[in-house]
Amino acid sequence: MFNKLIAKSTGKSPWIFHVNTGSCNGCDIELVAALTPRYDAERFGFKLAGTPRHADIVVVSGPITSQSKDRLIRTLEQVPEPKCVVTLGSCPQSGNVFKGSYSVEAPLEKFVHVDVAIAGCTPKPEAVIEGLYKAAEILQRKREAMKK
Amino acid sequence: MMTFLTLLFKILVFPGFLFVTVIGLLLAGIDRKVLARMQKRVGPPIVQPVYDFFKLMGKETIIPSAANKAAFLTAPVVGLVSLVVLMLFIPVFSYSAFSGSADMIVVLYLLTIPGVALIVGGSASGSPYAGIGISREMVAMMAYELPLVMVLLSVAKKAGGDSLCFSLQDIVAWQAANGCGAFHWSLIPAALAMLLVIPAEVGTQPFDVAEAETEICEGPLIEYSGAPLAVFKLNTALKMFVMTALFTALFFGGIDTGIVALNALILVAICVVLTILCMTTVHAVTARLKVEHLFKFYWTTVAGLAAASLVLVWIGL
Repeated sequence: MFNKLIAKSTGKSPWIFHVNTGSCNGCDIELVAALTPRYDAERFGFKLAGTPRHADIVVVSGPITSQSKDRLIRTLEQVPEPKCVVTLGSCPQSGNVFKGSYSVEAPLEKFVHVDVAIAGCTPKPEAVIEGLYKAAEILQRKREAMKK
Repeated sequence: MMTFLTLLFKILVFPGFLFVTVIGLLLAGIDRKVLARMQKRVGPPIVQPVYDFFKLMGKETIIPSAANKAAFLTAPVVGLVSLVVLMLFIPVFSYSAFSGSADMIVVLYLLTIPGVALIVGGSASGSPYAGIGISREMVAMMAYELPLVMVLLSVAKKAGGDSLCFSLQDIVAWQAANGCGAFHWSLIPAALAMLLVIPAEVGTQPFDVAEAETEICEGPLIEYSGAPLAVFKLNTALKMFVMTALFTALFFGGIDTGIVALNALILVAICVVLTILCMTTVHAVTARLKVEHLFKFYWTTVAGLAAASLVLVWIGL
């Protein structure tokens, strides 16, 4: 009985933790814009969490610089299960214009499993919300798959 | 056997655990919804705190290697238990589960326990952010305890006449006979002071120095995840209900319909109004205070209001 309720709640209250791995700040602004009154992602229960321990969805922006790679992986390990990893913008997906640079480690998929990739440079807030919503659905499925 | 069963009913259902949990989460939901509407947003559904609670229950609980496991895990439960016990002492107008000759003193002591639980849990987690959070929580507790004590003393003196009346049950009975506390003009400054104590006790926006989530990442809660975090979030919701119910008992205790269910309904209605008035509205129009400003505000303005009431009551007005 409670398992069903917990699974449903997991999809309805996804808390976001945002990691910037050398992003130009464009995607970060669009993520914040998605949470502002104009787009209001809170109506789906999204909330920006201050620490990875409280998070369900980790949003990664930026082309994963060599400096931030280890720190990013350590941050992702601190997030309790079930969790989702979302890449924001083209940078963590392909490296974008930084591709081939000696100091850039993109794509993120080389290191961790990515659940949702929001493409665009930068993606619109509508696209950000849609991507996060899909991540929340994946989160619910992950919780249902977890044997308690 | 029968008395044991009624006691169990009181502790677990009404006015104990189930009642406080449901109404507390409802108040937290209304707070978030009304805040969203004030910011011209659609806002989360009213049941959002319930979703948050059950989601956190289903998450993995990580205990940091630097943490003291026993204190880390028991602190939230101690806070929850003290809040439920607190509600048993606060009368729902003429009905109260437990009553004694000095339950106001018990309430005063029990009110500090959730804050202390936060401090113990935070210090057990071994994070430097939690260290900053607990030092701020201690300062905030010192700041709002003084006006709170003065408010309770002035109500006790007003209701007791020549002596002090520390029984909440008697204070409610006195209000039923002489009109609600908020309608005696010597108690109006105390009521205002109490309205300002509520958001600090609960830890909502302008006074959330301890859990400043944009600044020190929720302070004492930083290392918490899963079920203990869920219980701490539940504690915040319960504090909303317990504090507004205490305000109702002290200043609007005279309303009595004679039917317990109707009384509970009126109590909930008053609590919703108080939550919107002193937590949501204040949250929507202010930014977070610095901890020294919070301390100064409570020991001058709020304590001044409470002291004014105390003096007025003591000279017999």
